[in-house]
Amino acid sequence: MTAPDMAISDELGGLSGELRRRALGVFGRSLHIRTVDTGSCAVCESEIRLLAAPHYDLHRLGFFFTPTPRHADLLMVTGPAVRAADNLLLKAYDATPDPKAVIAVGACALGGVYSEDELTHGAVDRVVPVDVFVPGCPPSPLALLQGLLVAVGRLEERVGALSLDLDSGGAR
Amino acid sequence: MAFWFVRGLRRGIATTRYPEKIDSWALALPSPPAFHSARLTTGLVDRLARNCAADAVTREGHELVIDLGRCTGCGRCVELSDGAARPSGEFLLASSDRGALVKRVPIRGDQAR
Repeated sequence: MTAPDMAISDELGGLSGELRRRALGVFGRSLHIRTVDTGSCAVCESEIRLLAAPHYDLHRLGFFFTPTPRHADLLMVTGPAVRAADNLLLKAYDATPDPKAVIAVGACALGGVYSEDELTHGAVDRVVPVDVFVPGCPPSPLALLQGLLVAVGRLEERVGALSLDLDSGGAR
Repeated sequence: MAFWFVRGLRRGIATTRYPEKIDSWALALPSPPAFHSARLTTGLVDRLARNCAADAVTREGHELVIDLGRCTGCGRCVELSDGAARPSGEFLLASSDRGALVKRVPIRGDQAR
């Protein structure tokens, strides 16, 4: 790549970042979510459904579930990305209008539990780009809410500063 | 009795206060382990790594490496650790950086022996 090409690439990268920040600002007010199951055991789905229950009430935060990816701003993807689900995941991803965000939900979707083999990719980010990772088996509705708020830039991430060394003052 | 239930009966609102405040009961949810680095030995960490069903715990030299993305919070390492690990109580772990979910804990127990 020549120097002018690199300058154009940098400029495009900057514009892309700015566009993304503005899109997230728009998402920050109202956002529609489509869930995609790529072979999960359905416990993550159970926790996701609880988000709409009165106690968690994600609608108060401007988030809504939608039955079609064509109306969605964000995909919540569960499961270890089994290869049999490639078609549905890629179709859902392509059908979601830009700008869009993807949240990988649960240990399976993040590469735990299942390794990559002829049946499964082992992690969602091996199939589609992932914007936010939400660990847990399953992640609790509060953890999912945090993931959503991090995805739209309304909450800061905490895990970067987290230490798991209790002898150095880590964890709660 | 959960406090939110009492609050719901009193005020008619049972919704969680998150994100302003974390519900106290949520701290008891299954969570990844935290470790006492002074009690960790290379032998113990190797044992934890062998027994981790999700391959979340590994050893790299004199460090225990735990991938919070892989961890299922099953508690097997806590049971096997002879007090060197306990549930961290951390469950708000969402990250846009997959690498930020990989945590390292120094192994200091070998030096004490």
